[in-house]
Amino acid sequence: MAFVQIRAAKEGDCGDILRLIRLLAGHTPRSSLCVFIPPISVALRADGFGENPFYHCLVAEILPAPGERQGPSIVGYGLYYFIYSTWKGRNVYLEDVYVMPEYRGQGIGSKIIKKVAEVALDQGCSQFRLAVLEWNKRAIDLYKALGAQDLTQVEGWHAFCFEGEAMRKLGGK
Amino acid sequence: MAFVQIRAAKEGDCGDILRLIRKLAEYEKLSDQVKISEEALRADGFGENPFYHCLVAEILPAPGERQGPSIVGYGLYYFIYSTWKGRNVYLEDVYVMPEYRGQGIGSKIIKKVAEVSRERGATIQALKRPEYVALDQGCSQFRLAVLEWNKRAIDLYKALGAQDLTQVEGWHAFCFEGEAMRKLGGK
Repeated sequence: MAFVQIRAAKEGDCGDILRLIRLLAGHTPRSSLCVFIPPISVALRADGFGENPFYHCLVAEILPAPGERQGPSIVGYGLYYFIYSTWKGRNVYLEDVYVMPEYRGQGIGSKIIKKVAEVALDQGCSQFRLAVLEWNKRAIDLYKALGAQDLTQVEGWHAFCFEGEAMRKLGGK
Repeated sequence: MAFVQIRAAKEGDCGDILRLIRKLAEYEKLSDQVKISEEALRADGFGENPFYHCLVAEILPAPGERQGPSIVGYGLYYFIYSTWKGRNVYLEDVYVMPEYRGQGIGSKIIKKVAEVSRERGATIQALKRPEYVALDQGCSQFRLAVLEWNKRAIDLYKALGAQDLTQVEGWHAFCFEGEAMRKLGGK
């Protein structure tokens, strides 16, 4: 029986991570949300594995049982980075968590989330934040079962964004 | 007449920044949530690998006026990452003292963050990997959060060109904290 391990991503995993990013994006209704500028694949390596990484990543890897011929394969990932709260100090933000559909229901997503929390606590973080789409009941149920609060519902926080032309105009470009 | 300048915060500004952080929390009716100390702000913002960056709005007195410069607003931000768009900037806090509002100081801070983040994104990229200099790798998104009843702030951000992603796309902000986070991390 195959065994799943959650480990830190290596630079060589970027191809697999990008494959999973695209699968996750494909699940989001508006495909225009996902604009694949060619450099993103190049940027993933530079931004994650340079001297001062912009993000950190865990991957869920299936290791075949002894005797099985197939090599290890990456079936899920969690991408996170450290942020800052002027109320609480260091926090962690889980940008993406994804498990391929055929590997769901085995607790892999929960394992990834728990590993991120463990790493974050070791780094002195006091909050673990993430965002989820309101229709994504499966994810909402999982996060609530694990103890998260919906701050949009409870406190009324809304996520705003400047992008494209609006951002260039704002930055005087 | 006094002149306002927006400049990068220095370590010595942390006392003033904490004062304004408390005022913002009070405005957001969430004062009891402020647990941070001045020491943590100094260590986390001015060490070797800062967790955040900060701009302050400083009133410089006119020539002849006796009062020294004073900090009347701030904008605290950091770099984040989108797996769709790459490097982004997140404005955690922006605040201007009530008696100094209505003069465009908040807008100046927000615009300065946008300007700095685009330049910084490109500079950091160039330092790390020269072969990517040709790619425009500055920050492509500027994100922030606002409370749904804060009409003044919402009107400002929309006037400056922001979109409410919670309303338009249905994003909700979730958070693990305290006991829930410790349990999650197996501590």
